[in-house]
Amino acid sequence: MTTSQFLHSAWTWNPVVLIPCVVALAAYFAVFRDHRRWGWFVAALGVLLLTLLSPLNALADGYLFSAHMAQHILLLLIVPALLLLCLPRSVSLAVRPRVLGHPLVGWFAGVGAMWFWHAPVLCNAAVSSRPVHALQIISLLVLGCVFWRQILAPRESERLSPPGAVLYLFSACVTCSILGIIITFSPVTVCSIYSMPPPDTLGISLMIRGSWGMTPERDQQIGGLLMWVPMCFVYLAAIFAQIARWFSEPARLPEHTA
Amino acid sequence: MEHSVAFPFLPIGTVLRVFAPDSPQAHSIFNLGIVVTIILGTIFVLVGGAIVYALMRFRWREGEPDPDQLAGNKTVEIIWTLIPCAIVLALFLLTARTMGRSDPAPAPEPDLVVTGHQWWWEARYPKSGAVVANEIHIPVGNAFSVRLDSADVLHEFWVPELARKITAVPGHPNHLWIEADKPGTYLGVCSEFCGTEHAWMHFLVIAQSQAEFDAWQKAQLAPAATPVGDSAAKGLALFQQTSCVNCHAINGTSANAGVGPDLTHFASRRQLGAGIAENTRANLHRWLKDPQQVKPGVKMPDFKFTDEQVTQLVDYFETLK
Amino acid sequence: MNGITSALERAGLLTIEQREHWRMAWLSTVDHKRIGILYMVTALVFFVVGGIEALLIRLQLAVPNSTFLHPDTYNMLFTMHGTTMIFLVAMPVLFGLANYFVPLQIGARDMAFPRLNAFSFWLVPFGGILLHFSFLAGGAPNVGWFAYAPLSETPYSSQLGVDYWALALLVLGIGSVGASINFIVTVLSMRAPNMTLRRLPLFSWMIFVNSFLVILALPVLNAGLVMLLIDRRLDTHFFLPSGGGSAILWQHIFWAFGHPEVYIVAIPAFGILSEIIPVFSRKPIFGYEFVAGSTVAIAFLSLLVWAHHMFTVGLGHTIDLFFVASSMLIAIPTGVKVLAWSATMIGGRIRLQTPMLFCVAALVQFLFAGLTGVSHAVAALDWQTKNSYFLVAHFHFVFVGLIVFAILGALHYWFPKMSGRMLSERIGKWTFWLMFIGFNMTFIIQHFLGLAGMPRRIYTYADLPGWGWMNMVSTVGAFFMGAAALLLVWNLAASLLRGKIAGDNPWNAWTLEWATTSPPPHENFHELPPIRSRRPLWDIANPDRPDPMVGTKWKAEISAPEKNTSSVIAFIISETGFFGVLILAYLFFHAYPQPGPGAQDLNLLKTGIFSLSLFASSFTIWRSEVSQHKGNHRAMVGWLAATILLGSIFIIGQGLEYWGLFQSGVTVSSNLFTTTFFTLTGFHGLHVCVGLIVLLIVLGLALAGDFKQGRSPALKAVGLYWHFVDAVWVVVFSAVYLLPHLQ
Repeated sequence: MTTSQFLHSAWTWNPVVLIPCVVALAAYFAVFRDHRRWGWFVAALGVLLLTLLSPLNALADGYLFSAHMAQHILLLLIVPALLLLCLPRSVSLAVRPRVLGHPLVGWFAGVGAMWFWHAPVLCNAAVSSRPVHALQIISLLVLGCVFWRQILAPRESERLSPPGAVLYLFSACVTCSILGIIITFSPVTVCSIYSMPPPDTLGISLMIRGSWGMTPERDQQIGGLLMWVPMCFVYLAAIFAQIARWFSEPARLPEHTA
Repeated sequence: MEHSVAFPFLPIGTVLRVFAPDSPQAHSIFNLGIVVTIILGTIFVLVGGAIVYALMRFRWREGEPDPDQLAGNKTVEIIWTLIPCAIVLALFLLTARTMGRSDPAPAPEPDLVVTGHQWWWEARYPKSGAVVANEIHIPVGNAFSVRLDSADVLHEFWVPELARKITAVPGHPNHLWIEADKPGTYLGVCSEFCGTEHAWMHFLVIAQSQAEFDAWQKAQLAPAATPVGDSAAKGLALFQQTSCVNCHAINGTSANAGVGPDLTHFASRRQLGAGIAENTRANLHRWLKDPQQVKPGVKMPDFKFTDEQVTQLVDYFETLK
Repeated sequence: MNGITSALERAGLLTIEQREHWRMAWLSTVDHKRIGILYMVTALVFFVVGGIEALLIRLQLAVPNSTFLHPDTYNMLFTMHGTTMIFLVAMPVLFGLANYFVPLQIGARDMAFPRLNAFSFWLVPFGGILLHFSFLAGGAPNVGWFAYAPLSETPYSSQLGVDYWALALLVLGIGSVGASINFIVTVLSMRAPNMTLRRLPLFSWMIFVNSFLVILALPVLNAGLVMLLIDRRLDTHFFLPSGGGSAILWQHIFWAFGHPEVYIVAIPAFGILSEIIPVFSRKPIFGYEFVAGSTVAIAFLSLLVWAHHMFTVGLGHTIDLFFVASSMLIAIPTGVKVLAWSATMIGGRIRLQTPMLFCVAALVQFLFAGLTGVSHAVAALDWQTKNSYFLVAHFHFVFVGLIVFAILGALHYWFPKMSGRMLSERIGKWTFWLMFIGFNMTFIIQHFLGLAGMPRRIYTYADLPGWGWMNMVSTVGAFFMGAAALLLVWNLAASLLRGKIAGDNPWNAWTLEWATTSPPPHENFHELPPIRSRRPLWDIANPDRPDPMVGTKWKAEISAPEKNTSSVIAFIISETGFFGVLILAYLFFHAYPQPGPGAQDLNLLKTGIFSLSLFASSFTIWRSEVSQHKGNHRAMVGWLAATILLGSIFIIGQGLEYWGLFQSGVTVSSNLFTTTFFTLTGFHGLHVCVGLIVLLIVLGLALAGDFKQGRSPALKAVGLYWHFVDAVWVVVFSAVYLLPHLQ
């Protein structure tokens, strides 16, 4: 199989994913009268569908650790952020008991989701077992929302102040980078299931190892580097947004001239 | 101490050797260099020009009030943040392409194994078994896959006209491709600081026709000739009796240590002490009399040979063609 | 002597009472202005030393096949030149400027912790002497300022030079971290009431951001130096491939510090340009928000790009490419800054006085350095130009072209404030032109030498085509710079004695340091002007067209956090960097199977029980804080004592474990497992011991009756530190004891 054949044929139209998405879209327009932010919601669904139905998913399914990592990042960082952005600005995300709304909870949710699912046992289980895989996807989306709530809650009063948010994002980034560094330079296979020859249902093993030149070592390196560098860029973009938010309060002209 | 160094065999065609590529690998780096120079040069001229313009046009004059207090312009600033983003993306793609072209994946078996030592280079041709020091012979137009090792500290292999540079790391073999488009002698250096005599860790890459290369390789495989003549024979005896044999090897004699350079075909080489002097009789005499005088810090100690002994050794080494 | 004292007195640097004891008054000072000057004078002394080393290097290289210096002498010279210029000149002089001017710019009386400030300063001369003592102890280090392993290891450098080098850098690193914690807390907690974070002058803002970079990056170097010293003194093999160690690991650690280090000295220089260019263009900076924000981006990205120093060590194209991308990205925020400075000048009324001359030259030279820097991020080109004189030229364009020029600009700009007297403008211009011509003559040609194939750090070279005359040009240029340095020293001394009286605000500048006398009184300000924008003095001078007011929307930027707590948090951040490296090194070597003792020889159960004791102590110290909060003094003392007891049990447990291992012949040098194990747990144990000592002091104070009135921040700060030590143990315990059982 050639690469372009693969990119055309590896789409799956999984109803378990599609139906909830359609329902969610309907629900969004039914629940919220204020539709001005629907673009964000469509973007969230779009990224989610791309993550779960596209060839990326096929690759993550036993072939490539790096594809799995890309999925992981999209599900934990991108989709939840877009979901929070699509909420009308009046929605309150306050939680009870209040301690759950503490920034540390959000921080550990975001960082923990990264570390937890890369314990070798769990990483393998998520590939080999369907229920664990489903659990992983849902938990990433939920934990991602908990993480981003501190930054992107619709109500200004429920968000961290910009300097605090910068610290929050920066420390999260460093913590995930450390895991990325470990994965990149570790001679030990993190997710051993990807280094074994997969049950090559799609017949693409040869293409990946051959014309793509993906050895298991390079695959893991790319996975680690994805977590290390591009993921940091996501955090960095968020930090920029925070600085912009901080400085964007319009300067006021002096009282007596205004 | 004076060095009578002459390099009649250098490619003295050009001064800026990075800009004189002579292999496909070096050419692809050179081409990228031209593109990058044009892009970055344009930026320098534009921004530098704006600064010079400001300096000429907006000078303070006595008695003028402070100018308009313009504190910024968001649109302008966003634009000049986005333009560099586009330039960076272009540079990234160009870099990725050139990296692949100038440094392809290594061959499964190397054609040449180069090992860095303090302060000389050892080159082995695993397919034939030839061993040589501070000189690499390659056939023109034939890419050699080189494995780079280090016996002690970090060294770096750099022949600007022919290939990228790459570090010799102990315990971490590296690879590069070396190739020459036309016959010639290219100077290589060690470019990673490696101790006292880092400056004198030169080597020569000699590109020859395939026939010449084959002949050279065949000659290198032959054991050393048995010396004829009284003085040379005494030199051999001296070599074998003293601690020379603790470090050096000469194929065909009992000396087979691997600490210093293999001397089997010493007389066929062009330089002494990894480039510090030309391989002439006078220089060799000076070297054997006291290597520390010629190359301070070199691992070869002063053996305090008498002039007579040195002459015998020189006579012997001259037979090692 | 009278000359000095009277000059100091006239300059207002000495009060009449101090006149008798002027030496002690300076040696024992805790005043930020005096400490700032001490920093700068120390830097000036070492600048002369480093400069002479540079001239000797250039003399040796002036002609081919030179025998002026022995190779080892030359190698010592360039090692000492690099180390001196970075750690004993650039950092101290920038810390000195920041020490003097950050409190003034933010309207504070002093730094947050004056005594810590004095301590941080005195570590600089101490470290400098330690480094230079190596000359007497068998030879200075001669392995280069980045001391690449394995050359820096005992088998290849058996003399004590490298040990002194590592010790000196450790001392200097600790001093830098101390100073930076002080800057962070000063900016956070000592600002004048209306000086919100968004109204900070850009120099103070950049020092603030930069200090975070220091506390993150320096501990990484410290961890590496500790590992190098353990290798050298205890015969282990962290970085020695012959014993299973990794030479590349040292490079990772060194550059994970080393690249941020470049920005640690560059960001304050950016701050200087951002102060001086607007004042001498008579316009505010173009896009304060972008200049301030891009500083954060630079600081952040600089932590992510270190492997671009390692494109030639063979990490593989995959890793290289990611670092190509991140290294190029850093050009974007840097470019934003350069464009902002240029745009500030356009439409201004530029006064080309000496400070501005230096800053304009710094701007153009940095533009050039930045662009050659991008060419190094293009990995394929770096494969040619790395480790050649092209690279030497590039980083001297950054370090001298930008940083030294900016510092000289700052000296000419702020000297009137520090001394009350103007520097001679005529000599200043001479200094500038000599420096400018000399610098460009020395270093532009070196780009071409690099392209001609000349590698760096060679003590001599063959007479290859072009090399001789190019090196000669470079050497002549260096002597122009030497002459400029002499003129500068002359100007400083002469103007201090008989310069023109400066007045409060000789440049008509706009930030708070110009709102007080020159030099400022001991308490800095008699009265602060109203602060409602970024340029308070502009608002006063131009009531008809004041700056727009900068708002105070966010509580976090107005409030001043408690300074003890902030300092402990900053300290914890830096400690995290230190332990992070040790833990990563442990995991790295853990991945390779080692012959000899391993994690399986550790007693999980026993250590687990002792660990529980340590974890319990986090609970007891929390209870102690709560008791204090409630005013229950006896309970507080009780819980505190319990904490000390539990901590001691843990330490005894660790001692027993070590004893058992030693009994069975396991030592730090047995194999890489034991090396990393003892290093990691040993340093943790050391921190526990320090914590115990601090707790004992607090207990003693409590028994003596302190802390009875209300909440004391001290206990909270100690508590935070103690929690941190426990948290580190959670990670260490999981990595060392639990991980092997999971696999």
